[in-house]
Amino acid sequence: MRRIQKAPRNGYPGRFALSSRNQGRRAGIGSAVASSLGLDSTVFAARASGDREAKLWVAIALLLVLGAAGCSQSSARTGGSSGKPLVIQNIGSDTMVNLAQAWAEEYQNVESNVSVEVSGGGSGLGIAALINGTADIANSSRHIEPDEEAAVVAHSGSKPREFLVGFDALSIYVHKDNPITSISLEELHEIYAEGGKIDRWSQLGITNIPRARTDRIIRVSRQNNSGTYHYFREVVCGKKGDFKLGSLDMNGSKDVVELVSHTPGAIGYSGLGYNTPSVKMIPVARKKGEKAVLPSIETTLDKSYPISRPMFMYTPGEPPAHVRKYIDWVLSPAGQKIVEFTGYIPLNIAEDKK
Amino acid sequence: MSASPFTVTPLVRRNMRRELAARIVLGAMVAAMVLPLLAIIAYLVAKGAPLISLKFLTTNPTHGMREGGIWSALLGTIYLVVIALAVSAPIGVLCAVYLNEYAKDNWLTRIINLAVVNLAGVPSIVHALFGLGAFVLFAGIGRSILAASLTLAIMTLPVIIASTKEALAAVPMSFREACWNVGASRWQTIWSIVLPNSLSGILTGVILQVSRTAGETAPIMFTGAVFFKKIQPGTLFAYSLTDQCMALSMHLYTVTTQVTNAPEPLPYAIALVLLGAVLAVNAASIIVRSLLRSRKKW
Repeated sequence: MRRIQKAPRNGYPGRFALSSRNQGRRAGIGSAVASSLGLDSTVFAARASGDREAKLWVAIALLLVLGAAGCSQSSARTGGSSGKPLVIQNIGSDTMVNLAQAWAEEYQNVESNVSVEVSGGGSGLGIAALINGTADIANSSRHIEPDEEAAVVAHSGSKPREFLVGFDALSIYVHKDNPITSISLEELHEIYAEGGKIDRWSQLGITNIPRARTDRIIRVSRQNNSGTYHYFREVVCGKKGDFKLGSLDMNGSKDVVELVSHTPGAIGYSGLGYNTPSVKMIPVARKKGEKAVLPSIETTLDKSYPISRPMFMYTPGEPPAHVRKYIDWVLSPAGQKIVEFTGYIPLNIAEDKK
Repeated sequence: MSASPFTVTPLVRRNMRRELAARIVLGAMVAAMVLPLLAIIAYLVAKGAPLISLKFLTTNPTHGMREGGIWSALLGTIYLVVIALAVSAPIGVLCAVYLNEYAKDNWLTRIINLAVVNLAGVPSIVHALFGLGAFVLFAGIGRSILAASLTLAIMTLPVIIASTKEALAAVPMSFREACWNVGASRWQTIWSIVLPNSLSGILTGVILQVSRTAGETAPIMFTGAVFFKKIQPGTLFAYSLTDQCMALSMHLYTVTTQVTNAPEPLPYAIALVLLGAVLAVNAASIIVRSLLRSRKKW
């Protein structure tokens, strides 16, 4: 009985010398508790059986959870032995994500044993993944920067390989009721670039936009890790220029078009492939007074449309066979047909015309 | 003659007015909470229900994710939730048992408890960064279902610990004392008295995390969810643990922000499936809880 006096400070008694180990455990404890609490022993008999039921529940729950985990693990294992599909991780440009998705979807029909995992997030994210070694292919709608290239070399030991997979024309979108007929790069500069003087539609001679609440030009732009953002800045704001503050920066190419389609006074830029019937693309001229052209496959390829750019895939070093095969397919007529189908400008026509 | 308690004095009238005002204000608050909820559900059902069919649930997305179903995303979410809870539920529950039943009340325990409570409030994007750093890059697992599930497990762990501790603490001390008094060891007490009596609370806490896990986008975006991946239809084992997967929450996000000319009901239908799954799981938790509670004798 001295042990009881030595019970720990927090009030819990320790393990008693007299243990009920030899008694019939559950019913024993149950009825003993019952008598010590002064309760009707039949109630506690019920409790004891209830406890068993409750424990059954715990056991079932645990089994389910463990079983499920086991299943998924065993599936992983069997998958490995019976020709687990080869996986290609393809991360990057939001501009190219729909194209990459269409390629991945179609490639399954060509090579059923290769599964392409497509994620977006921006060209910057793709190249970061290339540097971290978490991507097999990075999509980018801009050239890799020299310091990024150096980082890939430092991490993987070999230079990243660049594959030109198509072109994208950046269209200028306005609301479909906007009467504007053309715009020049200089005017775009005045609208978008820091220090630009155009803030109102009336300065462009547009005074009658139906349902527009103000004369103010609502500038729609992109978030700053987007390749589209960087390319547009380079072309419109100049190499060292920056955007004017106060634009609405959207997180996706589609968001830009969507916002413009709901906002009569808005102007925005996004890929040609994102055109919808509820917005209007306007022809762009290099200089005021020159002929303005609408973006299209032809005008992009003959370089008369001023805001178009190449789209790249990068691999960290020389790609392994299954990745190489995928890129070869992307560059083949079958892959390039999908480029055209999703609204971008395919490569093979480009080369034919040269 | 003194006023009987039932006469309407100015004081009584004032109290009645206040009573009425309180009733109206509090009732309005309830309405302010319930009406938007019902409106959301009604809106989702009206917009999304026409698309939902068994075929929608069990076929892969096709035509640039504009047509077909959501099978790959649905299965991805199931994988993520099951694996995440398979990791976090046992660890969380056992951890809470230790903290509540074994740990002495000293400064270390108090710091651990404080840490658990605070971790439960950490925004999911922070867990996402942790998962990216710890599992994807440091442990070298790479972007995969495993990394994403572990990140989700880390995110749910503190909440499971906290809710389990609550459930354990709700078992009256006298039960334990009675058990010890007849000579049961601590583990015998936990196994025969404490756990059975707190089971409903523990399960509720765990099951509620299913909906949180299924709904999170941020933690899986960095660690293993993809924009698109085609899987074999018709089998539950289409993903392996080292693959990345699609997930419903992520699919909803990409369909709304990236896919042009997606049919208008599609995002609503995806949201409806997500909501339906969460409601079903919560309903299951309520049923289990009421079943277990009906046996409580105190």
